[in-house]
Amino acid sequence: MLRVENVTHSFKNGNETTAVLHQIDFSVKKGEMVALLGSSGSGKSTMLNLMAGLMKPTEGHIYIADQDIVKMSENKLSEFRRKHIGFIFQAYELITSLTVRENVELPLVFQSVSPSIRKQKALALLEGVGIPDKADLFPSQLSGGQQQRVSIARSLITEPSVIFADEPTGNLDSKTEEEIINILLNLNKKMKTTFIVVTHELKVAEQMQRIFTLQDGYMITEKQTSSDTELEGGKLIED
Amino acid sequence: MRISDISRLAWEQVKRRKVVTGLCMAGISIGCAAIIVALSIGDSAQSYTEREINRNFKMDEITVTPNSGIPSQGGGEGKEASASDAKLDPGRLTGQKLKIVQGLRHVTAAAPFQELGYIQMTTIDNKITDVQLIGTDLRLLTKYDHKFKQGGPSDSVGMAVLNYGATVGLIDVETRQRLFEQLSTDPYNNKIMEQYNSLSMLPSDMFKQQVQLQSYDPASQTGQSLISSPIQIVGILDSTGNPDMAMYDKKIYVSLETGERLVEQLKLMNGTAGQKDVYNSAIVKVDSTDNIVQVEKLIQKLTLNTSTNLYQKEAMASTFSMFKKAALGIGIFILIIASISIIVAMTMSTHQRRRQIGIMKVLGANMGQIRNMFITEAALLGMLGGLLGIGFSYLIVFGINKLIGSTGGMGMGEPLVITIPLMTLPIGIAFAVMTGVLSGIYPAISASRTNALTAIKRD
Repeated sequence: MLRVENVTHSFKNGNETTAVLHQIDFSVKKGEMVALLGSSGSGKSTMLNLMAGLMKPTEGHIYIADQDIVKMSENKLSEFRRKHIGFIFQAYELITSLTVRENVELPLVFQSVSPSIRKQKALALLEGVGIPDKADLFPSQLSGGQQQRVSIARSLITEPSVIFADEPTGNLDSKTEEEIINILLNLNKKMKTTFIVVTHELKVAEQMQRIFTLQDGYMITEKQTSSDTELEGGKLIED
Repeated sequence: MRISDISRLAWEQVKRRKVVTGLCMAGISIGCAAIIVALSIGDSAQSYTEREINRNFKMDEITVTPNSGIPSQGGGEGKEASASDAKLDPGRLTGQKLKIVQGLRHVTAAAPFQELGYIQMTTIDNKITDVQLIGTDLRLLTKYDHKFKQGGPSDSVGMAVLNYGATVGLIDVETRQRLFEQLSTDPYNNKIMEQYNSLSMLPSDMFKQQVQLQSYDPASQTGQSLISSPIQIVGILDSTGNPDMAMYDKKIYVSLETGERLVEQLKLMNGTAGQKDVYNSAIVKVDSTDNIVQVEKLIQKLTLNTSTNLYQKEAMASTFSMFKKAALGIGIFILIIASISIIVAMTMSTHQRRRQIGIMKVLGANMGQIRNMFITEAALLGMLGGLLGIGFSYLIVFGINKLIGSTGGMGMGEPLVITIPLMTLPIGIAFAVMTGVLSGIYPAISASRTNALTAIKRD
């Protein structure tokens, strides 16, 4: 599904070049839910941006759905993102002038999908994330957890190959954090969508099937966690 | 991306960003109003002047006269007299030719206006004035923009219609003689001149009065006058043009039959006077000044001379064309200034919305889609500004009309009323939208080039 091959990335600061990622190699299978764990400055966000095609690596290749996104032009990448990639942001990043439903529909607007189909899909997803009654409200009328649910619904509307979640619980209290993680796990289980969750919290990472740990730009560990876990009623149940 | 979605997203932004929207709309509306008002003033002033000139110069009329430029070479090889006459002088203005002219397309009236000469008109109470005697079809006078102030036309012999000018300045013989004598001895005496002028402008009630026409007998050695039989005034025409100028335009209209009788009685020798069914002048009324040239050419084919006052319109059109161009230039200049405000406001707005643009790009919006959204927003601002501009232009025109009304118009006939021609509204809106779109191009390109990653990054 996703393959990162020998990716190195460095920034130029005047005459100085600072390497932030060193020869990273890993792959994620279809339907897998993995965590990219690392402390601040470890390079995890840079890795996420490279995988999402928001940046180009200095070296290496990134394949999503068997296509090398490194070689794509900006417009091709926009089209690719539209079809294959979903995003969940730490700060939700909803458009405040649009209603909840319109926010969820937005990626389909860029694909010229008809309003009736968009509406149908958006309402179904809002029901899936547990806020069907908030469809006509504006983001400012929702709590942080509810906004993140909207963001999750929005990331799923295009039925992408992979969803990148950048610190999805970073702005939430522990109770809401648990709810959101459960929603993600549930969706992964139900929809078989590949999730790559970037986090600095071990307890969040541990709920994923595999953890890739980054430190100072190097991939230091790859750990299998709860591949056999099953979900029931939104709660993780260990075998 | 669907047009409806682009428009909806643009509309949301326009609604949301009230200050930016207000600033942009204000700038554009002023420019748009300037264009609409300028075009309206130009148009209204042109049609007003055209109307006034038409009233005075009758631009929709063609004066037809015989074509005497083609000399006749004789003939008379035993043919009938009338046929040989026609061959002798094919340029004559005959009743037959007038009938052909009457049947031409765009001709609303064609009547002989037989100019029989300038003669003296005397009332029963011995007041006199000099008038131009014209033989015509009295029933057709109203077709030539004449309105009857009193009475109406009559077919009967011995009846006449006076124009308004012929009813003013009727002075009794003694007074007139006295004033002339005083003026000849003291030509710079303002008092006498004022007295003469005020008498010359004084109207008399001539309706249903009897008058006699008087001319000098050319055969008489003693300068004896010839006096016509009494003529009954059956109608008075309303004043056309400036009433102050009426004293210089005195006409008495009689039927062609009455005219023939007067020619005999007064021994008038003016042009074709006395020749049956042959006229020295006719006036052709055309439905629009636009068709004058076309009709004129057809009349000329009948070997007749024509003259019009159309050159007045052409001269006026070029003057107003210059005025309109200048006004349009001013409006466009204001719109250019307004467009700077849009560029500034939209560029500011682009910077404020960088994060939003970044999110949209991350969600799959491409550069073209972002660009289209901003251009649509700018076009929408232009259109709203244009609509506001239309409102402003009506207010401005209302104010100008009030001002013109309070100052008593332009001192000519009817007061000048500025109206906004409907055609100027789409022109104003088109300019406003165009300004919006052109001003939105730079901010739109700038927005579409926003780096998504930089835009969504939080410090």
